[in-house]
Amino acid sequence: MREADRREGVWQFLTYTFLLAAVALTLVPIYWMVVAASLPQPAFLSYPPRFLPGTEFLANLDALQGRLDFLRSVGNSVLIAVVYTLLSMLLCSMAGFAFAKYEFRFKEPIFYGILATLVLPIQLLVIPLFLLMVRFGWTNTYQAIILPWAANPIGIFLMRQNMKKIPDALLESARMDGATEFQLFYRIALPTMKSSLAALAIILFLFQWNLFLYPLVVLQEESMYTIPVAFAQLVGFQRVYYDQIMVAATISILPIFALFLALQKQFVSGILAGSLKE
Amino acid sequence: MAQITTDGLSKEYHSGDEAVVAVEDLDATIGDGEFLVLVGPSGCGKTTTLRCIAGLEDVTDGRILFGDRDMTDRRARNRDVAMVFQNYALYPHMNVRENMGFGLKLSTDMPAAEIDDRVESTAEMMGIEELLDQKPKELSGGQQQRVALGRAIVREPEVFLMDEPLSNLDAKLRAEMRTELQELQHELGVTTVYVTHDQTEAMAMGDRIAVMNDGVLQQVGTPEEVYRSPANEFVADFIGSPSINLFAADVERPARRDAAEGRGATLRGPGGFSYALDDASAVEDRDRVRVGVRPEDLRLVERGGNEATVTVTEHMGNENFLYLEMGGEELTARIDSSLRPEPGDSVRIEFDEEALYLFDPESGDAVKTKTDELGASVTEVR
Repeated sequence: MREADRREGVWQFLTYTFLLAAVALTLVPIYWMVVAASLPQPAFLSYPPRFLPGTEFLANLDALQGRLDFLRSVGNSVLIAVVYTLLSMLLCSMAGFAFAKYEFRFKEPIFYGILATLVLPIQLLVIPLFLLMVRFGWTNTYQAIILPWAANPIGIFLMRQNMKKIPDALLESARMDGATEFQLFYRIALPTMKSSLAALAIILFLFQWNLFLYPLVVLQEESMYTIPVAFAQLVGFQRVYYDQIMVAATISILPIFALFLALQKQFVSGILAGSLKE
Repeated sequence: MAQITTDGLSKEYHSGDEAVVAVEDLDATIGDGEFLVLVGPSGCGKTTTLRCIAGLEDVTDGRILFGDRDMTDRRARNRDVAMVFQNYALYPHMNVRENMGFGLKLSTDMPAAEIDDRVESTAEMMGIEELLDQKPKELSGGQQQRVALGRAIVREPEVFLMDEPLSNLDAKLRAEMRTELQELQHELGVTTVYVTHDQTEAMAMGDRIAVMNDGVLQQVGTPEEVYRSPANEFVADFIGSPSINLFAADVERPARRDAAEGRGATLRGPGGFSYALDDASAVEDRDRVRVGVRPEDLRLVERGGNEATVTVTEHMGNENFLYLEMGGEELTARIDSSLRPEPGDSVRIEFDEEALYLFDPESGDAVKTKTDELGASVTEVR
């Protein structure tokens, strides 16, 4: 018995050591990013390296702002990502509801057709989409970044899988209570899907937040740049402005960090939901 | 309040190229304020029928009328029908008050205060006023059941539809709720269609019972009628617990002279079974029949009757169930608790001709049902 206990203890020690190492591996680059953002460029590149944060964060931000209006890019990114997330959540959950709970002709082929679009890489879509936006006269607009991705196949898939778990009797009961089909959706289906919606929100927000190549092609004016596009401007031919890049990077992860903290409880249960057949 | 009429109601499902008939040409009338129980084995079409009346299924053929209003193509939400589901289907994100008020909120323009009053008085009637602010997941099965019923009642609909609403409760609670539901229905006087696979529940609750099998309505009648005068062998077998004893027998006709003197025929069955009929009119032109005898109509006798071997004796306290074997056929007898033959014993069984059921061996239709004296008095009381 004692022997087993001891072995258990050793095993636990090893497990936690491994986990701590993994956490450190993840956190060190983030810490390093914050340190670098708060040091002047020469200090950051000096040897031996400095591991403590400095006081130059605001000065670096100032220098960054001098090169391009980064805070405006943050604003653009936030606006685009928020509008996109809300719009796409609505579309994905409506489509998911329809695929999960209604019977219509060609339902399966349409659904698998939508899923099949996942295999198309963004690189393949950029040029045709750009030409389309030119024809619409939408280059350099927010809608050009938001609308083409609004009906997100991953989002539709996720919502369909989760909406399938809503018991039919629940919807039928609401029908008997006098609900219209749209009322079924927003009074019964949506409120029971809170955790899936939180997961969906994070997935959609991240997708739009990280989108790079497409906005790079479609957005031509600096005032419209999103964060990833603005980043690209910081890597010059002559010199890489590490301090400014790190400031930009630090600022750019804050909204995601905040979103995840706010939704993490629902997110984790949302991801797990549907993993087991009940 | 409404009388419900189904006129040639049919429902087919299509799975692939195959059409599965769930309900076939169902004609039935459910009286205003009546409690009708639809009963039958699983897959017999009773739930489909209920769902057609509710408007949750499209009808393949035929019509559904409430009073003289054709409801066939009306949406569920426009039928003024409330349904209680087997698994209650309470809205998980709403508390009991919201659950109960939801229908009134959506289907009427009643002010919120009035809805609240109605919800509260119904909750009081159902004894769930303490639960009004709780969510469904905080309630026990029995409480959820009451909420589901309350949610149907509060709307004061024209018709109640109930799909096995008691089947998820434990036996004791089920028996309690059975009585309570009946009282409630009589008090409210709302036309009710109740689906169950449990014939005991059907017998106990229904003003009338509709027995279904394979999508076809077999018989509609009061519990006594379907029990005493089943339309066919299926109904006789399905209704009654323990089930009726059924076996095949040959009809042995007497010599012409005896027949002329009014002497009956003799039934000859398995294991040397023999029964002389006084009145042979039912078997006049038949060579073979199916014989049915209810377990409670079998008596143990000293002499005469037919011989059978006891296989199992079940002591129920107030009575004994005797399982017997007679020429390869298993029989059940319900006898007085003072009689306790042991397994392996040979006993003699007897029954009255009035209690005998006879069925056509091909069609299963009843050719003779119970004719003992109880029948007349029961119908008079009703």
